[in-house]
Amino acid sequence: MVRIGFLFSRTGHLAYLSHLDMLRLFIRALRRADLNLAFSQGFNPHPRLTLALPLPLGVTASNEPGEVYFDGVVTSETFKSEIEKQLPEGLQIIKAVPIEPDAPALAALVEAAMYRAELRSFSDLSLENRDPGKLIQNSLEMLLQKEEILASRTGKKKKISYLNVRPYIIEAESELTPGGLAVLKLLLKAGSRGGVSPVFLLDQLALESGFPSLRAVCWNLHRESIYYQDGDTLQPLSERM
Amino acid sequence: MTLIKDRLESVLKKVQKPARYLGNEWNAVHKEHHKTAVKMAFAFPDLYEVGMSNQGLKILYESVNAHNNLLMERVFAPAVDMEAEMRKQNLPLFSLESATPLAEFDLIGFSLQYELSYTNVLNMLDLAGLPLFSSERNDNDPLVIGGGPCSFNPEPLAPFFDLFILGESEEALPALLLNLAAYKESGRNRRDMLKRFSAMAGVYVPDFFDPLYNESGVLERVKKNDSTVPARVVKNTVSNLDGAPYPTAPVVPYIQTVHDRAVVELFRGCARGCRFCQAGYIFRPVRRRSPEKIISIAKDLTAATGYDELSLSSLSSSDYPQVDELIKEIDQALRGDKVRCSLPSLRLDSYSVELADRLHQGRRSSLTFAPEAATERLRKVIKKNISEDDIYTALSDAVAAGWQGFKLYFMIGLPTETNEDVEAIVTMCRDIRDRYRGRVRGTLKLSVSVATFVPKANTPFQWEPQLSFQEIIERQQILIDGFRKIQGIDLSWHDAETSFLEAVFARGDRRLALLLEKAWRLGCRLDGWSEHFSFDLWQQAFKETGINGEAYANRRFSYDDCLPWDHLDCGTDKEYFIREHKLAYSCQDDGGSN
Ligand code: SF4
Repeated sequence: MVRIGFLFSRTGHLAYLSHLDMLRLFIRALRRADLNLAFSQGFNPHPRLTLALPLPLGVTASNEPGEVYFDGVVTSETFKSEIEKQLPEGLQIIKAVPIEPDAPALAALVEAAMYRAELRSFSDLSLENRDPGKLIQNSLEMLLQKEEILASRTGKKKKISYLNVRPYIIEAESELTPGGLAVLKLLLKAGSRGGVSPVFLLDQLALESGFPSLRAVCWNLHRESIYYQDGDTLQPLSERM
Repeated sequence: MTLIKDRLESVLKKVQKPARYLGNEWNAVHKEHHKTAVKMAFAFPDLYEVGMSNQGLKILYESVNAHNNLLMERVFAPAVDMEAEMRKQNLPLFSLESATPLAEFDLIGFSLQYELSYTNVLNMLDLAGLPLFSSERNDNDPLVIGGGPCSFNPEPLAPFFDLFILGESEEALPALLLNLAAYKESGRNRRDMLKRFSAMAGVYVPDFFDPLYNESGVLERVKKNDSTVPARVVKNTVSNLDGAPYPTAPVVPYIQTVHDRAVVELFRGCARGCRFCQAGYIFRPVRRRSPEKIISIAKDLTAATGYDELSLSSLSSSDYPQVDELIKEIDQALRGDKVRCSLPSLRLDSYSVELADRLHQGRRSSLTFAPEAATERLRKVIKKNISEDDIYTALSDAVAAGWQGFKLYFMIGLPTETNEDVEAIVTMCRDIRDRYRGRVRGTLKLSVSVATFVPKANTPFQWEPQLSFQEIIERQQILIDGFRKIQGIDLSWHDAETSFLEAVFARGDRRLALLLEKAWRLGCRLDGWSEHFSFDLWQQAFKETGINGEAYANRRFSYDDCLPWDHLDCGTDKEYFIREHKLAYSCQDDGGSN
């Protein structure tokens, strides 16, 4: 069995695919590429493909790690060149490398993710003549000063519970672009050990600003990088590959 | 106006499942508009998930786009949230592939699969910015055409359409479009063009036919008003399936659709002749694809799509000669690709169970069968010739082979049905549960779905009334009460309201166009989705137009009546239907010789 890790980017309209759509797309592309995918054991064998961290719908990305297993001999070069022919415009394989069979699963390494949010346009929003850059800067400061930001989750049997996600915000800052638009950089905890969705935070920010119409749909969200914990520091997962 | 493409972004951010509207799926065809003579939008009047599961769409997409100077792009009914955004932002309905406004196409073709999608047709025309009635559209507007099963009685839609193509269109549609290309060059007026088209086989231009009613409002005849057009329109039939265009690289959706798999059609038509079944008649005669062709399509399909499931489709798959051999060969051909084959529409007999058994190595979830009626007498009336013995032998075989669940389809309201026939559904299902409960490995899963009979044009039952609303409710109550006492069976049934509307439109005439328009103006759309369907609005539409729905749904037509579709020829003549209809009544106690 061969294990190959890869990095991909997602741009344009492909941002509108859900995580499940992405898995389906990759698996069909791999099947078309005729590369002898490895399957899980059991009654309902599944191709062994994982994307390290689900990409939320609507979010573009530049450095997304994934991994896949093959039966037989497949080099990372063949993998890259063959699958690229089967991917639609908007998905690109940046890099493919062999991974040691006993190395930990990529998904298990994920610790945090860096997002960039750009306010797309506020011309159709009524901000009562407030300067959008300042407004957002202030709202972000207010949001960060909170000790508790509660997110609701629907658990088993539709039970709703609340979780304080404030500790999951590692870093958040805002900048103004020359055009007067606001840009946010959000470094957020992510992965199986807990995390917070950037979409949720942008919606919270809108509430904080007093202009609920500023919600997440007004922003272009982009995931720049995914991090793993290396001793005391966070390192881009892409650099391990 | 800025391009739709640029304005789409902010809309896509705000709607559910935006991937419905992207149009750049794998295998989607993008042609240059300015280099193509005739541009057609294929409009499916339901949501993307439903439309993309329709094999007709894929076949026509292939057959038209195979021509260099023709192009076809797709459009579906937008979901409610998308429609709201489009109307808010003044975004006209656009084709998926190139985001071109529908009004800029030469022709818009609607696929008419079921009556409950009719309000979506009007809504889509309106979203395209086109007048609903063909008489109000001008020479620069696209032609609006229809096809699919409902075009065998298109009268309720006639005033909105320029023409319908009857029957199978994979050869007729490209021919029509090429004709349109020639016409565009010569630049004559619309009526001339329609006249020219009506000389083509299977083309029905409703404008050349006037329905005439007597003083009491009964349809007397449909009279053609132009001496040059043929008096009867005969459906198109593809003579050789092996030679007909077939999509081996269909568009692969991003989102999950209703039937998300590769489909190879084994044969077209069905010779069984169940008397309620429109598909059985309009797709006659039976034509087979050769095993060699099927296998080559299967290989191409899986290679070009990456699907992991291949459906061997037809109206009654176990009727393909030596289908067991065929399955073996397909298995051989696809070896190593880990493709699952599935055989829908299985008959309820041992042979079918054996086939299913061969296909489902591994997990056995559930098998679907359609006995339709629970008494032998009633099954004879509808010509569903399976005996009680067949049913139990098949079920026993399936249980022995490891199946643990069954889905059973029945119908209520069939001609001659009595309360006893309905009660027999309960009894039969209880019997099945009692017999097999202890014999399956886990728990026996039994689900029962009960539809209401809708009399359809071009069937032996076309003269039969639908049960009255009250009777439908009463018979459903028999089921509800009966099944309440039996544990472990899932019962579902079709709403009486939607079945009634289907019956109204299935046998409706041209006067219903006003009802349809009214219902749409009142806000009816996506009527096939229970969360959007509002019978109150429909009732209001009946009231405001003064149209009596019962006169359509619940009337018994006589053999002498002029039927709204009498001038359209489905390939089987009325005499045959009359004979079959009479047989239905006389066969009940003749020992089943029919
Ligand atoms: S119900 Fe099925 S078997 Fe009967 S005629 Fe129709 S397609 Fe054929």
